[in-house]
Amino acid sequence: MTPAIFSQSLQTYLLVSTAMFSIGIFGLLARRNLVAILISLELILNSASINFLAFNKFSMPNKVAGQVFVVFIIALAAAEVCIALSLVLLLYRKKDSINIEEVKELKG
Amino acid sequence: MGLKLLWTIQLAPLLAFLLIQLLPKSLKKIAPAIGVSGSLLAALAALKLFSLHLHQENLPQQFVYEWLKVAEPSATNPYQLVVGFLVDPLNLLMITLVTTISFFVQLFSVYYMNEDPSRPRYFGFLSFFSFSMTGLVLSSNLLQTFLFWELVGLTSYLLIGFWYSKPSAATAARKAFVINRLGDLGFYLGVILLFLYFGTLNFVDLKSETLQQTFSNPMLTIIGVLVFMGVMGKSAQFPFHNWLPDAMEGPTPVSALIHSATMVAAGVFLLSRAFGLFSASKTTLLVILIIGSLTAFVGAALATIQRDIKKILAYSTISQLGLMVMGIGAGSSIAGMFHLSTHAYFKSLLFLTAGAFIHRYHTNDIWEIGQKGGKKDLLAVTFLVVGLLSLCGLPPFAGFFSKDMILETLKERSLWFYGVAILVSFLTVYYSFRMLFVITRSKIKYEEHGSHHESGLLKLCRALPLIGLAAISAYVGALGTPFTGHKILHWLGGQVSPLNGGLLITTLVLIGGGAVVAFIQFRDPEKALTRLEAANNPVKTTLERKFFVDDAYAFVVKKIGLGLAWILNWFDRTVINGFMVNGTSYNILRLGRIASKVQNGLLQDYMSLAIGAGVLIVFYILHYGKTGF
Repeated sequence: MTPAIFSQSLQTYLLVSTAMFSIGIFGLLARRNLVAILISLELILNSASINFLAFNKFSMPNKVAGQVFVVFIIALAAAEVCIALSLVLLLYRKKDSINIEEVKELKG
Repeated sequence: MGLKLLWTIQLAPLLAFLLIQLLPKSLKKIAPAIGVSGSLLAALAALKLFSLHLHQENLPQQFVYEWLKVAEPSATNPYQLVVGFLVDPLNLLMITLVTTISFFVQLFSVYYMNEDPSRPRYFGFLSFFSFSMTGLVLSSNLLQTFLFWELVGLTSYLLIGFWYSKPSAATAARKAFVINRLGDLGFYLGVILLFLYFGTLNFVDLKSETLQQTFSNPMLTIIGVLVFMGVMGKSAQFPFHNWLPDAMEGPTPVSALIHSATMVAAGVFLLSRAFGLFSASKTTLLVILIIGSLTAFVGAALATIQRDIKKILAYSTISQLGLMVMGIGAGSSIAGMFHLSTHAYFKSLLFLTAGAFIHRYHTNDIWEIGQKGGKKDLLAVTFLVVGLLSLCGLPPFAGFFSKDMILETLKERSLWFYGVAILVSFLTVYYSFRMLFVITRSKIKYEEHGSHHESGLLKLCRALPLIGLAAISAYVGALGTPFTGHKILHWLGGQVSPLNGGLLITTLVLIGGGAVVAFIQFRDPEKALTRLEAANNPVKTTLERKFFVDDAYAFVVKKIGLGLAWILNWFDRTVINGFMVNGTSYNILRLGRIASKVQNGLLQDYMSLAIGAGVLIVFYILHYGKTGF
């Protein structure tokens, strides 16, 4: 299996994106640091983006629907991170910590 | 004419009751006058009716109105309920008795209750009782009788508990009510059975021959005994007798009217009224005879140890009622009815005399009445003697003829029961003379002058009923004597035997013996009291515990009733409340707690759940994707 062929198959992209997704999920659930959680979230989004691009490339190479989506995702992620980071900053000012386990006031 | 009089008798007391209830507060003080005039009107109408029919032969007369048609009437089963009046000698005798005694008692109540603040209520109830009782007596069928039967039970309850703030009175009222319900349940079942299989409840149709053709013998016995249960409750027959002594908590005139003369006699009246039903089965009559003799004996025996003048009279009433029931059970309803009518007069006379003592000396204890100077009250003592001699059956007092008739009937029926009756007569003489000696032979220790300031009108209200009752008592007795040709008995349809010499001697010996025994024991009441209190033997214990009947009731109620109640309580608490109600709520609460544990505020736990759920959904779609969704 040559590297050129390897890079030409859908499977490769999917494997990479799955790996990123799994790492993202793991980070989301396992990390206690809010910034780390946000990073994990970005990983998940990016894995989704990779999927879009990969499927676009292999199923309908002449269209750019996938790319358009990815642009949207990047913009969305930037906006989201903006808000999330400002929230984290506020939290840090209030609590002197960004440990997720210390933020549990909202419960039934 | 007859119908108008009947309506007058029936409605005059009801009208008096309604008027008294509707009186404005400022006019309440004329309530006694309304009550007395209502009962006077009824009594006059009854007397008029009585004299109208005394020489007529066209009895019985019926005035009926259709009430309910249950099914298409046919020749065999006219399923039809009627309401109406029945007039026959039995009714006429009873209605005269009820209305005249009502009148005298209302009159006496003016004297007796003149210091009571709730007089209007009293006279209202008394009038309502008269209404119910006349309804009972005049009714033409068993169902109507039953309705009024319940109404007299209600008024009895209301009047026993008249002084309801006194706990003993409230308890006594409740006891009377509950025990009467027991009996009435049987009565009602009997009525239902009879209507179901016989189709009519009219007294004129309840002939033993017809009944014997319709029913098998066991069925007749069952119906008879069921209806007799009602009689046992109302007429205080053993073992339902124990409410009557407690009922003495009511005002004394009430005891005179309801609990000695009329209401308790309603049972005996019903026995004669529906005699065809009872006499259709020999077994029923035997049951009646046995219950009657038990009652007569128990009542008389218990009367011998009471100290409360009203309780003595109450037990005496029980015993005399037993005697009447015995007479009817032995097959002679005439003897029972005759004794009922003489007894009603002399017993209400005795009760009013007792009331006269109680009102003046403020005590029920015969020893205390004696010590407070009871014998100085000549009027009361005279009528006490008259009443007691009549009760003992000394000729020529009224009680003699009626009691003799019962004794004669019993002698023909069976010597055993005759023996019981003789024993009861002896005991009757004994306790009568005991009471008389204790009241008249006690040394006066402290005389009371407090309540002698009675106005002329009150004195009249006190004396007139006593005189009137004594006079009527003599008259009614005389109507049944051989000297007037047994007028009333022929009219009632009885067979009359000539005056029995042997029986006369027996009675005289009994009275003499009883009086002598009582004299020996009670010639010095104080000594007798100390001696009796010191005595300690099984007989005394048995009598003081009232033959353990109350204990038996207490046992039944406490052990069985409370046991059942305990089980039901347990079931309610554990199964209904604990398991079903609280269990449901507790489990839902616990479920909620479990669910609320999920909501711990930790962001990552929420995410885990969301992701886990997402995974499950994806798994489901992939696995069942072809058929699902």
